[in-house]
Amino acid sequence: MASVSFARIEKSFGSTKVIHGIGFDIADGEFVVLVGPSGCGKSTLLRMLAGLEEITGGTIAIDGKVVNDVESKDRDIAMVFQSYALYPHMTVADNMAFSLKLRKADPKIIAERVDRASKILNLDPYLHRFPRELSGGQRQRVAMGRAIVRDPKVFLFDEPLSNLDAKLRVAMRAEIKALHQRLKTTTVYVTHDQVEAMTMADRIVVMHDGRIEQIGTPLELYDRPGNLFVAQFIGSPAMNIVNGTVRRAGGAAYVEVSGGVRWPLDGGPGAEGQAVAYGIRPEHLALATGSGGVPGEIVVVEPTGAETELLIKVGDAQVTLRTHGRPAVIPEQKVGLAVDPAHAHVFDQATGQRLVA
Amino acid sequence: MKLRQITTEAKLLLIGIPVLLWTMLPIYHLFLFAISPKEQAMGGLLWPDHPTLHNFEVVFKQQHHYLNFFWLQMWNSLVIAVAAGAITLMVATGAAFAISRLKVRGGRLVMNLALFTYFIPAAFLAVPMYKTMGVYGILNNQWALILAMVTIATPYSIWVLKQASDKLPYELDEAAKIDGASPLQLFRLVYLPLMTPSLVAVGTYALLLAWNEYLYAFLLLSSERDITLGVALGNFLAADDSPWELLMTTGLLYALPPAAIYYTFKRYMVGGLTAGAVKS
Repeated sequence: MASVSFARIEKSFGSTKVIHGIGFDIADGEFVVLVGPSGCGKSTLLRMLAGLEEITGGTIAIDGKVVNDVESKDRDIAMVFQSYALYPHMTVADNMAFSLKLRKADPKIIAERVDRASKILNLDPYLHRFPRELSGGQRQRVAMGRAIVRDPKVFLFDEPLSNLDAKLRVAMRAEIKALHQRLKTTTVYVTHDQVEAMTMADRIVVMHDGRIEQIGTPLELYDRPGNLFVAQFIGSPAMNIVNGTVRRAGGAAYVEVSGGVRWPLDGGPGAEGQAVAYGIRPEHLALATGSGGVPGEIVVVEPTGAETELLIKVGDAQVTLRTHGRPAVIPEQKVGLAVDPAHAHVFDQATGQRLVA
Repeated sequence: MKLRQITTEAKLLLIGIPVLLWTMLPIYHLFLFAISPKEQAMGGLLWPDHPTLHNFEVVFKQQHHYLNFFWLQMWNSLVIAVAAGAITLMVATGAAFAISRLKVRGGRLVMNLALFTYFIPAAFLAVPMYKTMGVYGILNNQWALILAMVTIATPYSIWVLKQASDKLPYELDEAAKIDGASPLQLFRLVYLPLMTPSLVAVGTYALLLAWNEYLYAFLLLSSERDITLGVALGNFLAADDSPWELLMTTGLLYALPPAAIYYTFKRYMVGGLTAGAVKS
């Protein structure tokens, strides 16, 4: 087990700079997820930690020791690839034992470790099969087994679940999390799926265009996104964002959107006349009882059983509302939206940064 | 539906049978000569009146002055072919691994040069090659022919192996690297096993190329004890009254090892070894 620290990391491919001075620390035993849209540099960062990419600038340290010039095999890390990357000519047992054999470990210890890992991952019945004889989920587990037998300082996962179907992905997500809770090995996990990030991470690093947008626990990011990018990236369905101007008149504060729609503010941030982006999550909107509220018109009703999502036209914008009930509304019906201003997020339109009161 | 299947098959047979006959005819002719007595050899019969194995006896017992070194020459052919195949395989595999997997600098240049060698027909290079071997002082030495064959077979082999190894998923190398494999271990424990079908194909190609070679063998070797069986067969034609039936018998025997090699290794040449490595 070990801590990991990135300091002023830069990466260029030729003249193209893809990572612009990233720094953060990962504590011993922590499960950190790097998340962001494709091309944000998350995989590159992971590959630099793995020693598969040169580090253009800055330092990466594992357990306080700078590893920039240390070879992959000497960094004591294990990696699970998106494509599994199992050795096709070796059985499951040989795949898992490969790294230990290369290290000339005692055969007794190898057998013991492989046995332990296969029990943890329920791979016992498949030890003598070849990868081609396994299902996608089983192959993924072998890839994890290969990492576990190493008992490395750090586990690296590079979008390990992207190749699995939706159902299996949810199951494997829980398995990986349970595995981490059991082994408590420091883990860096890369994904583009914010749901994976939210459900698995101790801390999430949101990346965008080679920079860190925000670092925090899943709920911190959800409740207090630091900027518009994070606000829109984290959460499904995404946060509703409308652009408008802050108005403060006679003790009331609201954001006025072109067309005259007023979204209420709770006192809160933003100076009179400031151009802002007003954000409100779908579950913080409700259908107003009686008259009043922000006026809107139902566009689509999407019942999912436990919840219902309503797509509502408000002025020129469309917003999503999520409710646990099963509201009796039909398309084109005029409704009023009750907004809880305490849950409103306000961002500066120009910089995209969160405004705080 | 059924009728259609039958007509389709009939059409295929209509093409297939003539092609088969066309291909088999010379081989049948060869066989016919081999089992005919000398006086009937040129008789133009579809089947000899008195088929005989006498010709084989003459060849096996080396009872004709053209055949004094039959077994030795067969052995020479085999040694030269196997050596050329093995050396070509070693050189080409190393080059393909370095260029395709280790991405060494200048790899592209090597690939282009390899392709360039085929702009000049091998026959044009025979005399320069002869001079070169003379400079090395290995004329009339079997090494001269082995090295010449390796030179001719290697560029194509590098291309084939490079293309094949480009298809191996790169993540396997990275996984092995993280698992602690040195480049040499990667080569031995991951690359070679996965390349086996291509290696067998290329090895067989180089081996057969050397086995069938005539021009270079004729030029570079001269002693009757050193030449290959192919060259020895050519020597049959030096006389006015060539013993055709013996020439054909020897030819038939000369054709057997390549056929055996082909059928032995055919099953290794199938792909699909990488199935299950990565999700495709």
